[in-house]
Amino acid sequence: MKRHHCGRFRDSGLSRREMLASVGSGLGSLAVASLLADDADAATTSPLAPKPTHFQPRAKHVIFLYMDGGPSQVDTFDHKPLLDKYNGADPAQTIGNLAPTQFDNVGKVLASPWKFKRHGQSGAAVSSLFPYLAEVVDDLAFVRSMTSEFSEHTSANYFLHTGNGLQGRPSMGAWMGYGLGTENAQLPGFVVLNGGLIPPGGLDCFGSGFLPSAYQGSVFLPGKNPVANIRPHEPNDRLQRNKLDLIASFDQGFLAESDDDPEVEAAIQNYETAYQMQSAVPELMELSDEDAATQRMYGLESSFKNTNVFGRQCLIARRLVERGVRFIELTCPSGNGDRWDQHHSLVDGHEKNCRTVDQPIAALLKDLKRRGLLDSTLVVWAGEFGRTPFAQGSNGRDHNPFGFTIWMAGGGVRGGASVGETDEWGYHAIRDRFEIHDLHATMLHLLGIDHTRSTFRFSGRDMRLTDVHGRLIEGVLA
Amino acid sequence: MRGIALTSLMTCVFCVLLTSAGAAETPENKSGTPVPDAADSGGADDTQNEAAQAEFFETQIRPLLVEHCYDCHSGDDVEASLWLDSRHGWQTGGDSGAAIVAGDVENSILIDAVRYTENVIPGMPPDSKLSDQQIKLLERWVEMGAFDPREPESDSASAAIKFDLEGRRQSHWSWQPITSPAVPDVNDASWPRDDLDRFIQARLDSAGLVPAADADKLTWLRRVSFDLTGLPPTIDQIHAFENDDSQHAKTTVVDRLIGSMHFGEKWARHWMDLTRYADSYGHEFDYAIDHAYEYRDYLIRAFNADVPYDQLVREHIAGDLMTDPRMNPTESFNESIIGTGFWYLHEATHAPTDVLQNEADIASNQIDVFGKTFLGLTIACARCHDHKFDAISTADYYAMFSHLQSSCRQDYPLDPGQINAGKFQQIDALRDQIADRLSESSESPRRRDRELASAPDWPRFESKSVLLADFRGDRLPTDWQTNGHAFAPIDDSLRYAVSTTDSELVPDTVDSGARGAKAAGTLRSPSFELTDTRIHIRLRSDAHQMVRLVIDNYEMNKVQQLLFAGTILQKKNIDTQGKWRWMTLSGDIKKYIGHRAYLEIVDSGPGSIAVDQIWMSGSDAPADQPTKVVPQIDLAAISSKIQQLKQLAKSLRPPRFVIAIAEGTRREMPIYIRGSHTNQGAKVPPRILEALGGQTGSRLDLADRIASLDNPLTARVMVNRIWHHLLGKGIVASVDDFGPQGIAPTHPELLDHLATEFARDGWSIQNLVRRIVLSRTYGQSSVANPANSADQIANSDPTNALLHRMNIRRLPAESIRDGILVVAGTLDPKPFGPGVPTHRTPFMTGRGARESGPLDGDRRRTVYLTVYRNFLNPFLMTFDMPNPFGPQGRRSRSNVPAQSLAMMNDPFVIEQAEQWVKQSIAADRNFDQHPKRVISDMVLRAHGHHASDAQIEQLWQFVHSQTAARGGDQQAAWQDLAQSLWNMKAYLFLR
Repeated sequence: MKRHHCGRFRDSGLSRREMLASVGSGLGSLAVASLLADDADAATTSPLAPKPTHFQPRAKHVIFLYMDGGPSQVDTFDHKPLLDKYNGADPAQTIGNLAPTQFDNVGKVLASPWKFKRHGQSGAAVSSLFPYLAEVVDDLAFVRSMTSEFSEHTSANYFLHTGNGLQGRPSMGAWMGYGLGTENAQLPGFVVLNGGLIPPGGLDCFGSGFLPSAYQGSVFLPGKNPVANIRPHEPNDRLQRNKLDLIASFDQGFLAESDDDPEVEAAIQNYETAYQMQSAVPELMELSDEDAATQRMYGLESSFKNTNVFGRQCLIARRLVERGVRFIELTCPSGNGDRWDQHHSLVDGHEKNCRTVDQPIAALLKDLKRRGLLDSTLVVWAGEFGRTPFAQGSNGRDHNPFGFTIWMAGGGVRGGASVGETDEWGYHAIRDRFEIHDLHATMLHLLGIDHTRSTFRFSGRDMRLTDVHGRLIEGVLA
Repeated sequence: MRGIALTSLMTCVFCVLLTSAGAAETPENKSGTPVPDAADSGGADDTQNEAAQAEFFETQIRPLLVEHCYDCHSGDDVEASLWLDSRHGWQTGGDSGAAIVAGDVENSILIDAVRYTENVIPGMPPDSKLSDQQIKLLERWVEMGAFDPREPESDSASAAIKFDLEGRRQSHWSWQPITSPAVPDVNDASWPRDDLDRFIQARLDSAGLVPAADADKLTWLRRVSFDLTGLPPTIDQIHAFENDDSQHAKTTVVDRLIGSMHFGEKWARHWMDLTRYADSYGHEFDYAIDHAYEYRDYLIRAFNADVPYDQLVREHIAGDLMTDPRMNPTESFNESIIGTGFWYLHEATHAPTDVLQNEADIASNQIDVFGKTFLGLTIACARCHDHKFDAISTADYYAMFSHLQSSCRQDYPLDPGQINAGKFQQIDALRDQIADRLSESSESPRRRDRELASAPDWPRFESKSVLLADFRGDRLPTDWQTNGHAFAPIDDSLRYAVSTTDSELVPDTVDSGARGAKAAGTLRSPSFELTDTRIHIRLRSDAHQMVRLVIDNYEMNKVQQLLFAGTILQKKNIDTQGKWRWMTLSGDIKKYIGHRAYLEIVDSGPGSIAVDQIWMSGSDAPADQPTKVVPQIDLAAISSKIQQLKQLAKSLRPPRFVIAIAEGTRREMPIYIRGSHTNQGAKVPPRILEALGGQTGSRLDLADRIASLDNPLTARVMVNRIWHHLLGKGIVASVDDFGPQGIAPTHPELLDHLATEFARDGWSIQNLVRRIVLSRTYGQSSVANPANSADQIANSDPTNALLHRMNIRRLPAESIRDGILVVAGTLDPKPFGPGVPTHRTPFMTGRGARESGPLDGDRRRTVYLTVYRNFLNPFLMTFDMPNPFGPQGRRSRSNVPAQSLAMMNDPFVIEQAEQWVKQSIAADRNFDQHPKRVISDMVLRAHGHHASDAQIEQLWQFVHSQTAARGGDQQAAWQDLAQSLWNMKAYLFLR
């Protein structure tokens, strides 16, 4: 296939200098805003071609560590000594007015079963659940005043992922692919590494909504052939090549008869890219070329199976970053209670969940750092909401969207920072309160995108990931 | 205006100064600033007091406002239209009304906001709560009368930009009446075949372009076959058309296609993109939307029957209210009401912690679908504020909301053949006859209420309870509604003695078994405000029935009771085992005091339920009184008639339910200020958009006004949709948005011409489709006329907006799949019925996953595959089938490698290639002897074109060499050929 389509972009290894040069020469000259109005471009230009940013980006990739179910802030990163003092008290008497909870089964004030200690230069308080993360705490910037609008998983998941509590909107990964394109045509721009659990709300957490379907997240299962239709049906490459050559030959005739229609031409070109993806994807998933120390660092030899599973996901995430994939999301392994959703058995569930993610995430941060990739990779750790400082029943915690903790690390993030605070119970955010839109605005900002200018015309409106909201979480910016 | 406000403020201040003595604590005041003490000021020197107030304001309040409020509430562009930089600003207030009621701390929204109660509006300032001390200062200030010397800096700063609906209506093209433009003259009068061609040609003339040549016969045939039916032409159809040299050859083809069953299947699917058709609700557990497919089948029948479009619109909006509904011609059931099912194909979540928000979100989706589908308007954009660009006010949005709130959802039992209706008539007549032959018993039935009242705790119960319904007499209580034929009042005439079931009928009740145990239907209360925690219903029921409370239209309690425990009685919880009992709805009702609700009593077929009285109460139900109230009547003499009656009742057909809307209790909903139900403004009656007349009326009145040529949008929007589907791009490219943010029409006169003619022609969709596909415009080749130079095209029509040639289009997702089935010879053309379950690959996991369906979808057309919101078919999604959440009249056109991977490696494609080859070999005994003829036929089937000899030779060479490469496996090589033909762009694209 010799034809070179004008919308075709280079496969991989494009340096920033080359990229900027090509932008200057018009290869990627479709400005973010101008791509939006009409979808004719989508049919003739690769929707994933790299696009210029609004300003100098601080990060080029995002790894979103999605803590499905809602980790408890008061048991992890938001230390509230008052809970110890009033442990077992009636929350209506001590905390006061309580908002309706999802399960409406309010127990007593519940002190954290774990001890907090200050770590690192920043002196950030981390509970004993995260011994590995405590070692890299100076790389993390905490937002201890995050809020959501929903107490129910599905709506909160859609909200966290798409900026809207309803189903069917584009996921943040889709927006970032739309705004930036990708640097590697042989891999999707938005990859979800499925640890075993698809969050409530299903695949629509990773959908493209009203954006073209090219931007939707590709959910990768573990194994060599992580996505559908990536494995050739033919027993050997030659057989498939013969077919593709035959198809290409006929297609050239069709193209000529179609007056070189650019949409047909782009469709022809897609076959070559697809052919290459068939080998690029399995190669990505093959971890045997990682040395033993690295594998051990990520917990691949851990006796706890889920550490192994999540460690593998983290290691693949790093490999995806190396290959230029724009947005990588990790979902949680199954079998740790019900995700982070500890309506009961808080101790057992949170210990398993922390054990699953602690070592691999710390390894990911260290590994990215030593390879010089952390500066260009934004890592975000967040659940869809937090948990109540009072018990659900006797030994669980219910959903709490009014104030919880997330953290960010990597490209453009000021390690060691801490922003905002909740009240003395860890219940409501009261200082520097932020919402999910602000997280999205900040993530886009670090990628070089002004969230108010990355728009897509749909439904008579210029839609945004942040809708009409969003302000930067300045305190975490380096 | 301002003068009055000021005067009242002064009065107010004065009152506070006079009356609030001692009411307030002295705020902590570390800075030592003078704080005027209201307690000392009663009647004292006003001037001195004013000075103290001024100092308090300047030292404590102004700096606080400047630091914490001005960022968003000062200047030209403020949040919530609220200025806090002048007294006038907070007096007139913003979207939520006056921010401060001087002297009244508890009714001042500003105080509520800074306290972070979030009862009315979000906590302010939004990022951080003020300190307790700062909040106390503001409370103090308000309590003392909110002294404020600040004048607005300029008039413009504090005057919100006026929303000029009439100005917008007059200035935007789509609001103007539809005209009937003269057909233009053209340079070459021999070209046009239809008037519409002249509109196209006139524009080309003025651009200096000439139309393309006619497409060759087979290109046109493939194009029109896919466009009208979504399927490729068969070899026989190709040969027939090739051999038809008559003038009417194209007309013959078009008539055949429009007359085909497949026409409705194709065009119903276009409509389903608008009404976000799905078979499940999505969200966490992806619960099923029962009976959704009945709406899909309704659409297919409607498009095939060429139901006039204005009728189709009326049926969608208010088919339940039509006095003369359209009956199915063969099965004579009510078709019209099925159209209303579209209202309820929305997504839905369970256990919303904020049920009013849930209700408002669903309504927003319904209004969005309504507005875009019928009117091309983005009405839902006016949910939180007046539309930013169009002539649609927030009041317009809430007028539609009022229409919806005055309605409710129902499962409606169809009665195919009106068979049950006939039997019910016979049953009623027989019961009358039998009753007439009975003689009055010496003992007359005693009144039920007297029996109830004899319970010892009755007086106490009655004094603490509200009667919701007492089913006495021969009619239902006011505003109670039924559907189906099951529920009938049992009065104290002797008919009560005549039961079709083993359960006796009791006077002064309503009973769903009076006409037979098999009768189905719903009995529904008017909506009422929940004022107490329990609802007691005296009833007799078996386990097949359901009684439930629908709170704020939250419907999902039938599948999930979390947060709605105790609001539903069903299965064994409703079974009274033949006895009369007090049954109680309670539990979570206590959370919804003050909310609106209605009761629904559902008999879905077998068995029966009878209801006596319904009370709302704070106390337990009274004790049951096991008194015998019905005197025995000897029926022995008429046992044969009774037998006849029971036989009739047994012969009733089981019901067939469809989703529909129903008339509820009329509501006038308040505007939810900035979209928040906690912050309610003026009430709006149900009415149509002001820009379309603003008339109040029933939903049927609304439907009539929407489905009218007087309305400038409806006809334009629909003809444009049809144009879009046939030509690849609408005359208005933004097919769902005819507002100022949409794209202006390329051919406004043509649009009006088509709209006028469409209505004049009885709103016939089929005639309009026929007209367009027989036009010269549609028949053009997709290659530009060589008479137009490349420069000319680049300058005058680079995007082909003027249609100087036909557009090249990729096949839609459904046609790619259906075409494969037709070409492989495996399509099962069976129409209608429940959807085939989605085939689930290992990559499609998540909550609510169902058993996987067959890989080949039972070889049915794609329109008959289920659409599970959380498990959408990835093959179809890859080719841009839209996700079913909001209307999408125009699909995105993506062109990505994932599509190539699907065609190369998807097991469905591979399986069908195998089927195709097997069937071809089986069908042709001489397969091996003339492989090139086989190849020629395969190309014709897949591409709709004759392959050249050279191409046939190349393909044969491929089979030959691939057979060798496959180690002699000839069948595999033929399969490779078959699959390759589908991968070629000649299959995937329409020229």
